[in-house]
Amino acid sequence: MDTGSDLTGRDVAPDMCADDGEAMRAPEPPRKSTGLTKITRATYLKEAALQNLFLLCACVAVAGVALIFIFVGLKGWPIFAKIGLLEFLGGATWYPTKEHFGILPLIINSLLAMSGALLLGAPLAVGTAVFLSEVASPKARSIVRPAVELLAGIPSVVYGFFGLVLLRPIIAGLFGGLGFGLLTVWLILAVMIVPTIATLTEDALRSVPEGIREASYSMGATKWQTIWRVLLPAAKIGIIDAVILGMGRAIGETMAVVMVAGNARVIPDGILKPFLTLTTVIVMDMPYASGDHRTALFGVAIVLFIISMLFVAAIRVISRFGKGMS
Amino acid sequence: MHPRWLPVKSRLLAVTLVAAALLSSAVVAGCGRSASGATDQLTVTGSTTVLPIAEVAAEDFMTANPGKSVLVAGVGSSAGIESVSSGTSDIGTSSRDLKPEEAGLGLVDTKIALDAIAVIVNPSNPVDSLTTSQVADIFEGKIRNWKEVGGLDQEIGLVNRDEASGTREAFTKIVLGGGDFDPTAAVLPGTGQVRSVVAQSPTAIGYISLGFVESKFTKERVKALVIDGIAPDENTVAAGTYPISRVLHFFTKGEPTGLTKEYIDFVLSSKIQDEVVRDAGFLPISAGVK
Repeated sequence: MDTGSDLTGRDVAPDMCADDGEAMRAPEPPRKSTGLTKITRATYLKEAALQNLFLLCACVAVAGVALIFIFVGLKGWPIFAKIGLLEFLGGATWYPTKEHFGILPLIINSLLAMSGALLLGAPLAVGTAVFLSEVASPKARSIVRPAVELLAGIPSVVYGFFGLVLLRPIIAGLFGGLGFGLLTVWLILAVMIVPTIATLTEDALRSVPEGIREASYSMGATKWQTIWRVLLPAAKIGIIDAVILGMGRAIGETMAVVMVAGNARVIPDGILKPFLTLTTVIVMDMPYASGDHRTALFGVAIVLFIISMLFVAAIRVISRFGKGMS
Repeated sequence: MHPRWLPVKSRLLAVTLVAAALLSSAVVAGCGRSASGATDQLTVTGSTTVLPIAEVAAEDFMTANPGKSVLVAGVGSSAGIESVSSGTSDIGTSSRDLKPEEAGLGLVDTKIALDAIAVIVNPSNPVDSLTTSQVADIFEGKIRNWKEVGGLDQEIGLVNRDEASGTREAFTKIVLGGGDFDPTAAVLPGTGQVRSVVAQSPTAIGYISLGFVESKFTKERVKALVIDGIAPDENTVAAGTYPISRVLHFFTKGEPTGLTKEYIDFVLSSKIQDEVVRDAGFLPISAGVK
């Protein structure tokens, strides 16, 4: 191969996977010195114990999800039974202390917050990934990539605090009002979802075979044409997966949002007006909610659970669809 | 060989400690057995607004009087009045006066603190005073621009508290009466956030306990509005002329005696009044009297 060595190395990696199975098995025969003797009882027991240990680990994870789902379901179900699923999901007023349990405004607000964050954050993240994978010199990459990874490591409450004390007054100064609202939330969330989308998009771009790049360049395509017409379409499925994961992060984000959203229980009539989402209502109301109000908050949790299941399902379906194509 | 696990002196100490522990647990058990009406245990239930005062006072009281215990629970003013009149608790705390139907229960009122709520705006806001009904209209969303109340032509930035807030509850009862808050208002969890946002936003209006208007922790300033011509300060609150204020009560069945009286006297002492009551954002019952 005569292309850049690190690109080549990366390119070869997926192909290596096919060999991996054999590679893993290969070292074994030397251990069974005669090649035919059975493994010792001690080795067998150790292997079996380890297998069961890993099975146990997996079971704990599954049991965790199952228990949370069952618990939240049992706690929240009575609200559907009491006021009806349609009334709960479609009701236009959320005012629990006055017995109004309609979460439609909260659903719409969550979707508004998520879509705006996605519109701002996804291009930023994909751009970052393209830069890291295709444009950056190794030196630039060694600075940018840790910075992006660091973004993922910042606790969300720090984003929220930053938004509350720094971003909110700036927005209030520029546009008037209090600075609580969709615009502030969008800016904060957009930055928060960058690492999720950028990392996965970079992986997707890197798994595009090097031959495709070479073919494009040898046809006389420029770098921009190669990225825009060849690489991004080729990595499309991976990028969509990345964006969906980013959506999950945006809609599930709570601490950062509760600090800059302003928490008014209505659909805001502008991007500078306070609003409440599915996640933030739980934080705001849980400390004092009782009775049906508390049950309704568990109902909200069920809705959030189902939304994240839909995202996971979407990723699976799209990935399968992608495999079918290639 | 004899295991030298502890020097003799320490062993003696250990024995003494164990004996002391046994003895004290016996005493505690003895306390537990006596009924709630007994002289060494006091039950205080009622208003969650009064809770910060009653609870800290109880802790200090128990530290100062070992062997006496004060149990404090926040269940709401009505439940507190109900439980003291039925004899379930010794003191019922309340953030409101007795209702007419509660007047004949033989309850004796001891006023323990004053609670006043200041309506605050940014210091740059030219509006200095409002009437109670204007404040109500603003927080109900009927007045949306400062020019309607003599200010600049700017949209009002409403800042509300969350529903768990005792300040919001009091503000609702005193100012809004039966009305409802404008649901589009920003809802902030905590006095500090309300104060900080109002201090930074020229168009904002909010409400906090009078005791937090002046803060020694921050340079940010807010302006407390004159309401119905009365400026909120210790004198007007104590005189009962400042409209957005209320008295916090301890109700007892008959005149307080014994431990009940000791505890009430403790709450009324200058130590609790000047430190605990003020730290909780309230005013001492003696405010403005001097």
